[in-house]
Formats: sequence, C-alpha cells, structure tokens
Amino acid sequence: MRNAYVDQFPAEARVVKSAFWSSFLALAIGGIFGLVQALHRTDVLRFIDSTDYYTVLTAHGVLLAITFTIFFLVGIFTWAVTTSLDRGVVDIRFTWSWYVMMVTGTVLVAVAIFSGFLEEPPSILGSELYADVLFTFYSPLQAHPIFYIGLVLFVVGTWLAGFDWFRTWWAWRDENADERIPLPTFMVLTTTLFWYICTLGVALSILAFLLPWSLGIVDSVNPLLTRTLFWYFGHAVVYFWLMPTYVMWYIMLPKLSGGKLFSDPLARVVFVLFLLLSTPLGIHHQYLDPGIAEGYKFIAMTNTMFLLLPSLLTAFTVVASMEHGARQRGGEGYLGWLTALPWRDPVFTGMALAGLMFAAAGFSGMINAGMNINYLVHNTWWVVGHFHLTVGTAVALTFMAAAYWFIPQVTGKELWSRSVALGQVLLWFVGMTFMSNAMHRSGLFGMPRRTAEPQYQNFDFEPAVGTVAEMDAQVALGAVLLVVSLVLFLLNMVLTSFNGTSDSIPDNTYAGTLSGPEDAPEILDNLKLWTAIAVVLVIFAYTLPLASIVESGGLFGPGIDGRQLSLGADLEPALETLREVVA
Amino acid sequence: MRVSKGALLVGIVLLVPFVIELRTALSWFGIEITVVESALVGLALAVAITAWALWPPNEDGEAADRS
Repeated sequence: MRNAYVDQFPAEARVVKSAFWSSFLALAIGGIFGLVQALHRTDVLRFIDSTDYYTVLTAHGVLLAITFTIFFLVGIFTWAVTTSLDRGVVDIRFTWSWYVMMVTGTVLVAVAIFSGFLEEPPSILGSELYADVLFTFYSPLQAHPIFYIGLVLFVVGTWLAGFDWFRTWWAWRDENADERIPLPTFMVLTTTLFWYICTLGVALSILAFLLPWSLGIVDSVNPLLTRTLFWYFGHAVVYFWLMPTYVMWYIMLPKLSGGKLFSDPLARVVFVLFLLLSTPLGIHHQYLDPGIAEGYKFIAMTNTMFLLLPSLLTAFTVVASMEHGARQRGGEGYLGWLTALPWRDPVFTGMALAGLMFAAAGFSGMINAGMNINYLVHNTWWVVGHFHLTVGTAVALTFMAAAYWFIPQVTGKELWSRSVALGQVLLWFVGMTFMSNAMHRSGLFGMPRRTAEPQYQNFDFEPAVGTVAEMDAQVALGAVLLVVSLVLFLLNMVLTSFNGTSDSIPDNTYAGTLSGPEDAPEILDNLKLWTAIAVVLVIFAYTLPLASIVESGGLFGPGIDGRQLSLGADLEPALETLREVVA
Repeated sequence: MRVSKGALLVGIVLLVPFVIELRTALSWFGIEITVVESALVGLALAVAITAWALWPPNEDGEAADRS
C-alpha cells in the first residue's frame, strides 16, 4: 500500500503543494528576468531601456531572494513538522490563512514593482505606483506604500506560519512529554526563532520609517538607520533561505545515499549556533558605510567568522553521512566510495552538487566578511557571483532537486522524467560555473554591480587574465544555460502534474541516525535558553551602533527638529566612553 | 564500465570549473592560454575520463546504474 505524504496528510499536502507552486511561479519570472539583465549589462542583447533595468533587477531580486525561497521554505517546514511529529497541523484553516496572507503580500509587492514598466504608472494613495528600490529597498530609494504594505503582509504571513509550526509542536509535546524534539522539527523551530528575531529589524524599518515616509507622514528618514535595520535582517535572511537547504542535506541526502545521518547531536549544535549567530553580524554588509565606527564593524566580522563553524560542521557531518551510505552500497577505498553514490538520481546529484558549490561560496564569503579584503570587492560583481553560488545554487539547486522528490509526495504522481531531471541539475551546475566564475573575476578588477551599463568612456578595466569581452560572453553563456535548465525544471514539474496518480511513489520517510538524540545533551532542546542568549548577543552587537547612528543623524535625518533622539544626561558620558573603547 | 553512467556524467561536469579556472591558475606561472586552448584541454580531459570509465569493462558500473 502506498504511503506517500499525500496519503498521510492529504490536507497539509494541498497547502505544501500550493506553496511549492507559488515558489515555482516566482522562480520562473525571476529567472527569466535574470537572463534579461545578464544579456543587457553584458551588451550581448538589449531590448529594454537601461532605465527599466532597475525594475527588472528589483523584480529579479525580490521574486527570487524572497518569494521563491520563502514559499519553498514554508512548504518544506510544514512537511518536516508534520512528518517528524507524525501528526497534522492543529487547524488547517489557520495554515491556509498564513499562506493566503503571503500570497496577498506577494501580489501587492509584484503590482508595485511591475508598474515600473508602465509609461504612465497609475497614481494611488496620492503617489505614483512604483517600486524600483532593488531587493534591499532601503532609503534613499523610495517605493510606493503598496510595496511596503505587501512586504509587511508577507512577513506577517511567515510569522503566522512559524506560530503554526510551534503550536503543532506544543500539541505533540502535550502527548509526548518525555520525548526529545524530533530533529526535523528542532531544525524548523530554531530557524523560526531567529527569523522572529531578525525580522523585528525590518518590521521596525518599514512600519516606523519607510511606510510613513512613503505616505508623506514624515518628510525624511535617516538613510543610515534604515540601511542598518535592513542589514540587521538582511544577512539573517540568508540563513533563513539556507536552513531548509541544510534540512534537506541533513535528513534527505544521507537517506538518498543509502545510509544514515552521522550525528543527530552535531546537527542540533549546528542549528543552535545559527539561532545564536545569524543576526548579530549584519553590519558586515556595511563595512564601507560612513557613520558606523570601525569597532562595531570588527565585532560583526568576528561574529561572521564564528558562523563558519556550523558550516564546517555541516560539511563534515553531511559528507560523513554520504560516505556511510556509499559504503552500505558497496563503496570501498579512501575515495573509491564516491563512485558508489547514486549519481543517476537527480535528487541526490542536485543536492550534492549544490553542496559542492556552497563550499566555493563559503570561500568567497570569507573574503566578503573580512573587513580589509572586503574593501577590494565591495559593491563589485564579485558579490553577485558570491550570492549566485549561495542562494542561486546551494539553495535554488537543492530546492529544485528536492522538488523532484516532493512533488510526487504531495501529488501522488510519478515524476515525468528522471533523465531530464538529471540533465537539468547538471546543466544548472555548468551554467552557474560559467556565470559565477566570470562575475567573481570581474569583481576583482572593480567591475561594479547594480548598473545597467558598466561600459565607460575613456576607461578600460584591466583583467588579470583574458578580456572583459570574454568575461561578458561567459556570463551571457552561463545565464542562457541557467534559463534552459530552468525551463527543463518547470517543464518536468508541469508534465508531472499532468501524470496520473501512481502506486510506486516512495514512502514518506527521512534519514535515520547513527548517533541519535539520546546521545545529545538535553540542554540542546532548551529553546528558551538559546533564544535568550541570541537576544543578548543582538543587544550587544546592535545597541551601541544604533544609538550612535540615531544620535548623530536623528531618527528621521539630521537636522529634523523635534525628531532627534535625546539621551539622558547620565547616559551620555557612559555612551561616549563605550564608543571610545569600541572605536 | 568502471563507474556508473551517472557517475561518469557527473565526473565530466565536474571538469568544467577546473577547466575554467585553469587559465587563471596557469597565468600565475606565466603561461597564458586562450579560451579555445582551454576548451581543447577540457575536451581532452573529458575523453580521457570517458576512456578510463569505459575500459576495461566490468560489471561495477552496470550494477551501480541498476541500483
């Protein structure tokens, strides 16, 4: 008898399926916009105005970095909680409500962005409908209020999703008081907790400053303050995308390899470290921002480097698990076991190649995170190359590979073509190799990011090897291969949905463990403790920089009467002393 | 085959980043090669890996393909 997810949790499967299709739609539009940008800025093929480039760039960033990733995340997390707790959500109507709220938010944001393509955008709420503010959306770029309202609805939707997962766990805990939190649920809960912490920054930025500013309630904002509040959220969101990827690597890759997860306790430590350290490091995106003392930036760099630890632990644990699986399949030798892995399986191969790309992304990330060497690559195409390896491959390729397993699980329909799926994940790897390599190398000689026309008069970039034209061609070739891969993925998903139901869908299971939760100290499951420490670390990392920014530039900009933050007389000397120590 | 067809395909795909980086790496030693020369090196390596994988024949790869 078939025992797929849709058989166990038919109501939840419908929500998960809807979330996946929402993410695929965003992936399709955002991915095509990526090709448009690559062809335009490399001057290979131009069919949009350069002024529209920034509308395309905003849509590409928001639809892929926020919509695609987070819709897929909520699908995976709902699956992980219900599967590992072996119970449905408490109230499926509530589950649908947060999904609908996220969709509503996405539609509002998309309407605001896409209006940028109109010659005469409509005027709503007293201002032109327009949102060419890029994925980072901080001031001085200003969007229409509908853009910010949409973002708020989307984020609140994710908060409610998090509450849904928590209360499902609470209901389970009432019936299983002495049980350890199952690993997939543990991963979901710790991720949700740091999401709550980090999104407070962006909520404050939007609700207190950007939205009132766009509505004309206040005349100005402090740009440095909104930038800092964005990056308070903006780096943690990277880990929010990454955690469902880690969930897949920890609980699916070992099973697909034919073995078990090497260590449940180590996986719990990794997720606790992400809860603690994901947020108090956002200032590493602001190394070149004037107005933030170097000492604060140094603290952010230190915290960032600490986060290499859970990533290295993950590399060890996941590879050890894969080796265990390969040896169960008859693999032998120091490296010979690699050939025994199921490379014919697109789910496994996609995830494994994504993990390999993530290793490269980790190295370029260390360069971004180092204060001194960051100055070399800041705001260059290097950074774009970096995050196309992280979110664009480690996350996106893992999600696409996972979809080949999940879509049959939530629909009961067999995958249309495993061969096309294998070709698709390999093509993504090759396309991204071409594109990201050229972006990194271009960044090294100063090619800027976020510009439609990096071709300057009376100035030539000087690549160490090759020519600018060769690198542009490499980027364009990579982008074309990526879009072909994307089309193959979507084709497979669509044709799978037209398949009839099948009895040969694999059971809905995840990897067992070689070292299980019984080997993990119980304190690891103390979510209140870790959350409290995470909050304290955030307070340490952000209180003084934020106070300093507000003191020097005011809440709503320098010189705006009546809006300056006034510190108490007895706080001022203490703050000054601390600032001198840190700076 | 020494390895499965899937493993062979992945092995060839994994050559791509090495071949692309080869130009940069060789330039450190004062050796500059063109894009076409890089592609030819990549092609030669792919042929070499394929030949290694196909010869001498044994059952391991076929068994891995079936699993």
